[in-house]
Amino acid sequence: MATEQELSDFLRSVEKRAFKRVVYAVRSDDSALDVVQDAMIKLAENYADRPAAELPLIFQRILSNATMDWFRREKTRGALFSNLSDFDSADPGSDFDLLELLQVAEGSLGAESAADAVSRAQILQIIETEVGGLPARQREAFLLRYWEEFDVAETALVMGCSQGSVKTHCSRAVHALAKSLRAKGITP
Amino acid sequence: MNASQSQPRSHTDPHALEARLALRLVGHLNAQADRLPSDVRERLRFAREQALVRAREVRGAAVSGPVGVSRSGTLLLGSFVPWLQRAASVLPLLLLLGGLLAIQQWSSRERVLAAAEIDSLLLADALPPTAYGDPGFAEFLRSPPQP
Repeated sequence: MATEQELSDFLRSVEKRAFKRVVYAVRSDDSALDVVQDAMIKLAENYADRPAAELPLIFQRILSNATMDWFRREKTRGALFSNLSDFDSADPGSDFDLLELLQVAEGSLGAESAADAVSRAQILQIIETEVGGLPARQREAFLLRYWEEFDVAETALVMGCSQGSVKTHCSRAVHALAKSLRAKGITP
Repeated sequence: MNASQSQPRSHTDPHALEARLALRLVGHLNAQADRLPSDVRERLRFAREQALVRAREVRGAAVSGPVGVSRSGTLLLGSFVPWLQRAASVLPLLLLLGGLLAIQQWSSRERVLAAAEIDSLLLADALPPTAYGDPGFAEFLRSPPQP
């Protein structure tokens, strides 16, 4: 059973990422804050007696459900799934070399100019915008797998899909991000 | 053996490449998340505290509460007294239902006994029961006795 301190530490550690994750989906700070608060309270009400190790998985599941509830309330399900047709693309990374992009990025380490430093905030904003522009399921898989550092099985559990789907979503998300950022001249 | 197999695995494995790029992107996202406006951070802190208060309430309700004294001076023994109070509030209803069932049983038994008594009287009487269906006998019963 998680102690109050463990619960507090967990919420503190996850709150910013949770907020950002919901903002990417609902595109509104106020709504995202409401959803995160709702998820936190549901976690506290129903799962505070669970071991601390189980909290991340449960919280992400609650957060996903709370986000879906928000969309249902707002009656904008169509907006949520508007980009699902992107899944049908033949192969988003077929003509794209991730290694080349990584080599460019790593070769530039330590050589950031003053102009680059000034535009860094803008670049971060662009990256964030591109992440927000991913199809919902790709974005969710990408954020859970790499930002929340869940393994494939845990991500599949939170998303309610197969592990194969998680791998596909993650791969497509990374390729889509790399491609769109490279098109903007950004090496992450 | 093809040429690609001679290269280091991390340079050829598409999953490793994806993971490396994803981690770099996530690093940028972390940087952005650390730069949240102060009002958002404050609202997140408030949400966290609300959740902790809620967890405290739930835990307080789940375990026995502390021993205390009510305003009327009654000793409160954690969750024991509320349990007794709930049971006491249900007790009159249970008594009422039990009483109604007992009355129904008693009434039904009385009706059966009365019917049995009538049947036994009819069967034991010298007059056969079919006589009560005879219109002439019914008229005889209705007519006033002759002096």
